[in-house]
Amino acid sequence: MEVIKTDFILNTVRRMENDQSKEFSFGDKKSLVEKLAIAFINPKDFDKLNLSSKPNLKISSNFGIIIVKGIADEDVPEGTVLMPISIWSNQITGVENSELRYKNMRVDVDITEEKINDLNSLINKIKEA
Amino acid sequence: MKRSVCSGCSLLCDDIMVKSDGIYIDEVFGACLKGKEKFDQVTSQNRILSPLIRKDDTLQKASWDEALQRTVDLIKKSKKPLIYGLSNSSCEAQLKGIELAKLINGFIDSNASICQGKVLDNAVNSGITLTTITEIINKADLILLWGSNAAESIPRLLNKVLFSRGKFRMTGREIKTLIIIDPVKTASFNTMGVRDVALRITPGKDIELIKVLKEECCAADSIPSEGVAGLDKDDMKRLLQHLSGAEYGVIFVGQGLLTPQKNSNLINELLELVQMINIKQERGRITLAMMGGHFNMNGFDHVALSMYGKRGNLHFKDNQILETDENIISKIENEDFDCSIFIGTDPISHFPMSLSSKLAKKPIILIDNRNSATLQLASIVLPTTITGIECSGLAYRLDHIPIELKKIINPPSKIPTDEEILNQIIQKLKSDGGN
Amino acid sequence: MELYKYLPKTNCKLCGKTCMAFALDLLQGKVKADDCPPLLEPKYKKQYETLKELLGSEEGVEKELRINVDTDLCDGCGICVTICPVNARYCPPSLSGKAPDYPPEKHQLFQVKGGKCELLELKYCRRIEAEGRERECRVCETYCPREAVKIEYV
Ligand code: SF4
Ligand code: SF4
Ligand code: SF4
Ligand code: SF4
Repeated sequence: MEVIKTDFILNTVRRMENDQSKEFSFGDKKSLVEKLAIAFINPKDFDKLNLSSKPNLKISSNFGIIIVKGIADEDVPEGTVLMPISIWSNQITGVENSELRYKNMRVDVDITEEKINDLNSLINKIKEA
Repeated sequence: MKRSVCSGCSLLCDDIMVKSDGIYIDEVFGACLKGKEKFDQVTSQNRILSPLIRKDDTLQKASWDEALQRTVDLIKKSKKPLIYGLSNSSCEAQLKGIELAKLINGFIDSNASICQGKVLDNAVNSGITLTTITEIINKADLILLWGSNAAESIPRLLNKVLFSRGKFRMTGREIKTLIIIDPVKTASFNTMGVRDVALRITPGKDIELIKVLKEECCAADSIPSEGVAGLDKDDMKRLLQHLSGAEYGVIFVGQGLLTPQKNSNLINELLELVQMINIKQERGRITLAMMGGHFNMNGFDHVALSMYGKRGNLHFKDNQILETDENIISKIENEDFDCSIFIGTDPISHFPMSLSSKLAKKPIILIDNRNSATLQLASIVLPTTITGIECSGLAYRLDHIPIELKKIINPPSKIPTDEEILNQIIQKLKSDGGN
Repeated sequence: MELYKYLPKTNCKLCGKTCMAFALDLLQGKVKADDCPPLLEPKYKKQYETLKELLGSEEGVEKELRINVDTDLCDGCGICVTICPVNARYCPPSLSGKAPDYPPEKHQLFQVKGGKCELLELKYCRRIEAEGRERECRVCETYCPREAVKIEYV
């Protein structure tokens, strides 16, 4: 099977529509995943990765791996992945020199058929790590 | 119908209108969606209304007495407690938080330290003054959003600073120039007019832009002809012209500038650039303004500064402040704690996995009003009121102006405020004979 | 003189003038097609409809202004409230970016209620009220960060 791997820059942001504190106040388990376990990429990258063929994106950094839903967004520049700040995006952020690294990180992006983790499984992962 | 203060974000809009009978909130006028959602939290389905204690690995309802006793027991056993959060609490609660830290020989810090607190630190060191919203409304003719999406994080900011008509000017939007430096075309870009400048920089290259602009300030024609950081030479020249020609320019420093790039302190570099521009300035000056998420992001800094002359990272030992270079991140990273108390924050969602898993290994006491990822791991959860709606208190706006928040309705099920909970813990610890 | 072609051309003067003069007035929007009684008779039906169509597209007189606010997109930032020149004139707080008083002033066009923008009274909009260049006002649509405001003629 052909594997397409591409270098991307990851930026985590806060968006009104995809805000974790909002989801934790009003949402439920389903809406949490829908609104937060996502990544925005440029439509050109979307096509390049052939995202319509497989449902999800696997994003890996030096710090970890996460599987999220990919969404095409024209406003995101090519070569950039944008993720809402949440427990999902924080699977691949990290610490360097006692400072948080959550912006402008180099990541690899791949398409996958693997399932998106729900909140419980991430919590368990944190517990067991 | 009363004018009230919104505690939805650090802009603390004091012009919203709330219609309420003292029990329910009927309607909110003037607040943005984010503010309205804050009011909706009062009755949200994920609100916690009773204390919870973890038994057999599940959180179960408990009485206040039991929950507080457990909290005190946990704290007494702890040698190196960590207290963190308080950006969503009033200054009164922050004072109590510091008092608790002192009593239990703990380490206390607020969310500001890993966020906008850096701007304040650096600004104080460089001597550059920050500005206030009113000054911006009345005087500013140049607004620069650098790495910040104001339209989403502080929805009414642009309304106030860009579209208002100031006291000393007859016109509004027409004379104000907006410059946005951001890799992503955010919603803020839609508020641009024909004379404004949109700079879509390559992600992570802000540092290069700042350095080149600094060079250009010292010696003209230092900008390479192919441009820098994905920006055109002409655009950069225009940027500099706008900055040095402005009568009153304001740079809003966003999250995008808070992470270090290439191991240099971006904020410091930016401040140096501002100083250079201000020397060149003939008509006016450039100042900076901070942007914060949590409504009382700045409060802790002020409380801690006034009490101990230190903005954050307070480490107590035998009633004394210890000199320390540690911050909350290094504390967790080095596992230099044995119990953590979080107040109005959700670190498990905010912190990278590597830190979260270290936090999860030690008992967590959570004081908050709603469900969160941290709640899923907490040993004890103490529910609290929503400050600014269910209790009053002081908060510092993003421009460091203190604003008095008002109580609008009574909290449900006699839930205590942050201040009261912290006070009860302190009193209980004292009467139980300390540790 | 295209409009003249579709008039009854009988110079009956029921309108108070000749058909040619009526056509000129039509063009300037001084009279409406309905002001010519014979034109409303069944035998002129086709001509009447063609005329209406022509007038509609040429003059826009038959079209009605609508300002739609998409509440799904709107985030209640209040920029439209502040920027609208009519609000600025009648609601002093909006000059400094503040929310206007409640209840709204009678000329006030927009207010933010429950975190969403609400259009109150369209009839004082500059596109209806004002003269000359001011009539071309479109700032609420231009500056809405969410692109939630749409000015339309239907
Ligand atoms: S901008 Fe902030 S303070 Fe103002 S109404 Fe919106 S959420 Fe509330
Ligand atoms: S009323 Fe009609 S038919 Fe009679 S003169 Fe005027 S335009 Fe001609
Ligand atoms: S400007 Fe747009 S987003 Fe803002 S309140 Fe008006 S309609 Fe809503
Ligand atoms: S078109 Fe102009 S006058 Fe009419 S509602 Fe919009 S801003 Fe107000």
